[in-house]
Amino acid sequence: MQFIKRFLFLDILKGLWLTFRYTFTPVYTEQYPTERPKLAARYKGAPRLNNDPETGETLCIACDLCAQICPEDLIVVGVQRDPESRKKVLTTYTFDTSRCLFCGLCQEVCPTNAVELTQDFELATYDRSTMLWDRSRLEKGWKRIEYGESRNFR
Amino acid sequence: MMETFLIYLLIPALKIGVVVLVLSGAIAYLTLLERKVIAHIQVRLGPMRVGWHGLLQPIADGIKFLAKEDIVPAKADALLFTLGPIISLIPAFLVFSVVPFGPPDMLQGVLSKALGFLLPPEGVEQVVTNSIASGGFVTDLNIGLLFLLSVSSVGILGVILGGWASNSKYPMLGALRSSAQMVSYEVALGFSIIGVLLIARSLSLVEIVEQQQASGIWYFALQPVAAVLFFICGLAETNRLPFDLPEAETELVGGFHTEYSGFRFSLYFMAEYANMISVAALMTTLFFGGWLQPFPNVPWLWFLGFIPSFMWFSIKVFLILYVFIWIRGTLPRFRFDQLMRYGWKIFLPVALANVIVTACLVWLFTLRG
Repeated sequence: MQFIKRFLFLDILKGLWLTFRYTFTPVYTEQYPTERPKLAARYKGAPRLNNDPETGETLCIACDLCAQICPEDLIVVGVQRDPESRKKVLTTYTFDTSRCLFCGLCQEVCPTNAVELTQDFELATYDRSTMLWDRSRLEKGWKRIEYGESRNFR
Repeated sequence: MMETFLIYLLIPALKIGVVVLVLSGAIAYLTLLERKVIAHIQVRLGPMRVGWHGLLQPIADGIKFLAKEDIVPAKADALLFTLGPIISLIPAFLVFSVVPFGPPDMLQGVLSKALGFLLPPEGVEQVVTNSIASGGFVTDLNIGLLFLLSVSSVGILGVILGGWASNSKYPMLGALRSSAQMVSYEVALGFSIIGVLLIARSLSLVEIVEQQQASGIWYFALQPVAAVLFFICGLAETNRLPFDLPEAETELVGGFHTEYSGFRFSLYFMAEYANMISVAALMTTLFFGGWLQPFPNVPWLWFLGFIPSFMWFSIKVFLILYVFIWIRGTLPRFRFDQLMRYGWKIFLPVALANVIVTACLVWLFTLRG
């Protein structure tokens, strides 16, 4: 029996049938720059500092909780006390994306949902110094290169 | 005078040009086909960026090879290093001088139209009836198969020379392996052909196909064992997986062509793919009826005649090449002792037995009728 099996290449034929079937299964490849990957709903990517959509003022109340909980100590919150209202006011806010491990503790702890980790994952840059995000970049987000319509990447 | 010039010089030269061009194109696109088929077996896409679904990839690769620096290792034997790829490429192309792509009257219609205004009717008649001019092949040697086997063996010399001249350990090992492998598998390859020769009673490839037409059946049906053996030995002869020990990327870096780069490497590469095509073409001719349509003498299959003969040939060659690639995507590489064991202890005895059985059967049938 074993001899017949080997003589007729039955095992090899079985293997060939398997690879033949795989030839026609849908491809797993994701054509990344043109085809956007499907991210999970709770994916944690680039940080953002949210503004109030009605007033345009920052939601941040400068409580410094995010800076304190951050395991990498990469958030620095600049605070100034308003002499009239005796309230803390946010002046600067830096976020070092080069050290961030995207644990999401800052957005968990934020009482006003000011800090948020967005779905944007394209954080690569040409220069390490650009990885330190200041307040304006955190509020506006940063301009991503769009490949979708480019002929070179069709 | 004019007719002689046309028959023996101009038309054969044109045919050679066409064959070389088509073959080069086929080699280029065979690499793409291989990458695509392997990719889809592995549930990937393969080349997609250059042209529509990577269709211009072979051209980009060719330009890349030409633009690369031509390196000869400092301690290599410069002359033999240069000769190696050339010696392996020329026989690979030379094989196609005897492979028939179509019947001996394939170009009759085209030629009589094209020459109508150039020659008097009797001159046209003379050119058209001469199979050297009008045949679907470059030449029809009466010892075509012997010529083909001997020429393709010369190609191994290029591999051995290249491996030796590189003066480096991996190419040397690759060359040694390839010489051992090719010598042992060529024996079984030769014996697997003999069965066909006994039935066809000819060494001319054109006549072998014509005999298949006369008997109304492809020799695959009469010689299945020989066909399978020929296919396996063909895999070994062309260094294809699972017999790609001379190259063995994972052990020998690249085998005999490790030290080669740029254009010289591309010559080896082309020779390898040309050998693949020639083995497939030979298999088509010997076992799958060459240019014939399936069941050539069955009258109700007349509609298959609308596909021209050379297209039938190309379709069959394409299918065999697909199986070559398919097997590459399926099987792992043999160990060297396994390779030798299969070659000498299984394939050779089976081939010999096949020759003896075929000879006895042919003798019996000729005694009767």
